[in-house]
Amino acid sequence: MTSIRPLIADQVSRSFGTVTAVANASLTLTPGEITALIGPSGSGKTTFLRLLAGMERPDSGQILSGERVLASASRHVPIEKRKIGLVFQDFALFPNMTVLQNVMFGLREYAKDERVHMAESWIEQLGLTHRRDAYPHHLSGGEQQRTAIARALAPKPVAILLDEPFSGLDPSMRGRVRDAALNAIRAAKVPALLVTHDASEALLHSDTIAVIAHGVILQSGPPDTLYRAPNSLAVARALGPVHEIERSNLPAEWRAEIKTDAPTLWYRPEAISLGKGPDFTVSGSRLAGPVTELCLKLPDSKDVLYSACQPGTPLKPGEGVQAMINPALFFEFAAEST
Amino acid sequence: MPRALPSLSAIPPMLIIVLVGLPVFVALFAGVAAGDGATWDHILQNRLLPYTSTTLLTLLIAGVIMLGFAVPAAWMISQYEFPGRRFFSWALILPLAMPGYVMAYAWADLMGVAGPLQSQIRDLTGLSARDYWFPNLFSVPGLAFVLGSTLFPYVYITARAAFSMQSLATLEAARSLGARPLDLFWRVGLPVALPAILGGLCLALMEAAADYGAADFLGVQTLGVGIVRSWTSFGEPNTAARLALMLVLIAGSLLIAARLYQGGKGVQQTSSRWLSPQRTRLPQPLAWITTALCALILLVCFLAPISRLLWLAMESNARRVDLIPLLRATLALGVLGTGAAFVAALVFTLAAKRSAFLRMATRLIAAAGYAAPGAVLGLGALFLLRETGQPLAGATAIGLLLWIYVSRFTSAGVEPMQATLDRLPRNLDHAAQSLGSGGMRQFFRLDLPLLAPGALAAGLILFVEILKELPATLMLRPFGWDTLAVKAHAYATDERLAQATLPSLLIVLAGLLPVLLLSWRLSATERS
Repeated sequence: MTSIRPLIADQVSRSFGTVTAVANASLTLTPGEITALIGPSGSGKTTFLRLLAGMERPDSGQILSGERVLASASRHVPIEKRKIGLVFQDFALFPNMTVLQNVMFGLREYAKDERVHMAESWIEQLGLTHRRDAYPHHLSGGEQQRTAIARALAPKPVAILLDEPFSGLDPSMRGRVRDAALNAIRAAKVPALLVTHDASEALLHSDTIAVIAHGVILQSGPPDTLYRAPNSLAVARALGPVHEIERSNLPAEWRAEIKTDAPTLWYRPEAISLGKGPDFTVSGSRLAGPVTELCLKLPDSKDVLYSACQPGTPLKPGEGVQAMINPALFFEFAAEST
Repeated sequence: MPRALPSLSAIPPMLIIVLVGLPVFVALFAGVAAGDGATWDHILQNRLLPYTSTTLLTLLIAGVIMLGFAVPAAWMISQYEFPGRRFFSWALILPLAMPGYVMAYAWADLMGVAGPLQSQIRDLTGLSARDYWFPNLFSVPGLAFVLGSTLFPYVYITARAAFSMQSLATLEAARSLGARPLDLFWRVGLPVALPAILGGLCLALMEAAADYGAADFLGVQTLGVGIVRSWTSFGEPNTAARLALMLVLIAGSLLIAARLYQGGKGVQQTSSRWLSPQRTRLPQPLAWITTALCALILLVCFLAPISRLLWLAMESNARRVDLIPLLRATLALGVLGTGAAFVAALVFTLAAKRSAFLRMATRLIAAAGYAAPGAVLGLGALFLLRETGQPLAGATAIGLLLWIYVSRFTSAGVEPMQATLDRLPRNLDHAAQSLGSGGMRQFFRLDLPLLAPGALAAGLILFVEILKELPATLMLRPFGWDTLAVKAHAYATDERLAQATLPSLLIVLAGLLPVLLLSWRLSATERS
C-alpha cells in the first residue's frame, strides 16, 4: 500500500514565453488536510496545479512526494506515474464508460473482482450506487462530479488535486456535493489541493489557505490567520471585502483603540457594528442575507464607513446610530503591498 | 379552413428535386422491373454474385487500408508534437486531389515489370523477373490499395477532428490514473472518436464503391465496371440495371450508415475544457519514427505517384498529346455543368432555409444523387433516352450529361453553402423581415453576400468534381467531346501510360485547389 506523504512544491517556477505563470512558489500539502489555493483569474492557480500533477514541467524548483522527487531540473516523473488524483471543473469523465467503469479505470493493478469491489465501495461512499451502470451523459452535474471524485480516490493516490471542482455545479446542489466530496477526501487522509476562486468555499472547507497572485504565493496558513492577519492588501481582498479609510477621518476614540499610526487603514465591514460609541448618520442600508450592509456617514467628512452588521430593526437613510469597532479587523499594509 | 396553396417560391426547388432524382429512380426502377432479355438466373450466377462479391471484398480490404493509414496518423498529429507535424497535418489531405484512376496509372507504372521498383530489385539482386514474387496491382488487393490510398483522407479528416475535439482534461484525467500512451489511444481516445471515424470510413467506402476508372484499368470486375460493360459490351441492359440496383444499395447503405454515425449516435463528451490542443512532445527516437511513418504515407499516397507522373510527362511521348480539344471539351462541360449544378445547389440551400419540408426533401434527394455512382446515373440517363427514341448525339447527349452532373453533384454544392448558412445567427431572417426586407430584396442584399464564401467553395468543388468525373462522361459524351478524364482513361487502358500522364496531371493540379481550400478551412476551424 502506498504510504501517505506530504506533497511539496519547493521554489517552483514556470514561464510561458515572457509571461511568468508561477514564480518561486513553495507550498506543502499535508496528508489529511485540504489546502485551498485561491487567487483571481490568471493568477497562476491552474498552472501551479498542473505543475504538481505533472502536466507541466517546472523551469526551476522541485516537487516532492515526501522524499521522492517528482520534478526537478534533472527529473520529471510523468503524470501517469505520479499517482496523483485529478478532479476538474467539468468532470472529464470518460463518456464511453459507465460510472463503475470510470471508477475502475485506474485500478488495473488489481484482480477483476477486487477492482469491482473497490470501485463499488467508492461508488457507495459517494452515494452513487443507484447510478452504477449509468453513462456520464445520463448523470446530473453533481453525480458526474461525485463520480469524478470517486474515480480519482479509488486508486489510493498520493495526493488529490481539485481544479475548481464545484464551480460548474448548480448552487442548489453545490453544498451537498461539496460536503460529500470533501468528507470522502478527508477520510482518505491524502494531501488535497482545492483550487478555487470562491473565498467563502476556501474559508469554510479548508485547513490551510494559500493566496496566489501574478504567480507568487503571497501568504499561506490557517484560514483564520489569513482572514484576520493578511500580510498584504491582495491577500485581504482575496478572502473578503476590505475598505480603505484615512486614519485621521476616524473618530478620536476609535483612533485610540487602533494600535497603529499608519495614515491609511483598511478594514473588513464586520469590523464596524452597532453599539455604544460615536454617533453616525445612516446614508444607505441594504439587506445582504444574514447581515445588513450599512453606509455610515462620518461627521465633518465626505467619507463614509461600511458596516456589515445585524441591526435589531431595519434602518433607513437619515436615521442616527451609534457604532463600535473590532480593532483586530483594521489592517495597515506596507506601501508596496497596496 | 381551406389549405393554402403552395407558395410560388416552392416551384423551382420542387422542379429541381424531380430533375435531380429522376435518373436515380429510373435506374432503380429499371433494376427492380427488369423483365425480358437475359434470365434472372444467368444474371445472378454470372454477373450479380461475382461482381458484388468482388466489390465487397475490395471495400473490405480498402477499409482496412484506410483505417491503417488514417487513424494512427490522425491520433499522433492531434495529440503529439514531432518534427513536421504541422506540415503533415494538412499534407495528408493531398491524396484527395488524385482520382483513383490516376493513382492506378501511376502505381501500375511504378510496380510494373519494367517499372523503377522492380528494375531496382533486379539491379540490386541480379535476379530475373521470374525469380521473385512481386505484388500484383492488377488484382482485388491492388485495387483496394489504390482506392484506400486516395480515399483515406476522408477517414483522416474525421478522425483528426474527433481526436482534436476530445477534451484534454479527459485525456489528462486518464493519464493521472496511470494510463500509458497506448492505453490512452485504445481505452479513451479511440472509443470516443469511433463514431466519427466510422462515419468518415463509410463515406470513403461509398466513394470507393462508386469507382469505375481504377477498377476498369486494373481489370477488377466490380459492380461499377459491370454496369458499363453490361450496357456497352454485352448488350444486357437488364443486367446493367440489376447491377446498378445492387451498387446503389451498397452505396446508399454506406451513406445512411455514415449519417447515422455522425448524427448523434455517438457518445457525448462530458468535458469541454482545454479544447485547444496542448500536445505532448514525443521523445526521441519515437518522434522521428512518427515523422518517418507520416512521410511514408504521404510518399505512397501522393508524392511517389505524382513524381512518377511528372517523370513520365517529361518524356517525349507525353508531348504528342493534343491537349487543346481535350481542354476545350473539359472546360465547356466543366463550366456548363458547374453553372447548372450551382444553380440547383443554390436553390436547394435557399429553399431549405425557408421550409422544413423542403429542407428535408432537398437533402434527401441530393443525398440520393450523391450516393448513386456515376455509372448508375449514366445508365438511368440511357434508359430515359431509350424511352424517347432519340440517338445519343449532339446537343441531346450534352444536355443529358449536364443533367447527370446536376443529379450527381448538387449535394457537393449544397454542403459548403449550407455550412456557411449554419454559422449565421438563426434570427437573421426574422431581423431582415422585421425591417421590411423580404423576397428578392433579401436574396440580393442579405442571402447572396452572406453565402458568398460558401458559394465560392461550392463552385470550385463542383468544377473539379465534374472535371474528374469518368463513368457518366464516358457513357454519355457525344463524339468529339472527350474530356481530360476520358482521354486519360482511354490512353491508360490502351497501355499508353506516357500519354495518359499529362491529362492526369492536369486533373490532379485542378483537384489540388479545393483540397488546399478544404485544408485551410479545417485548420481555421481547429484554430478557432
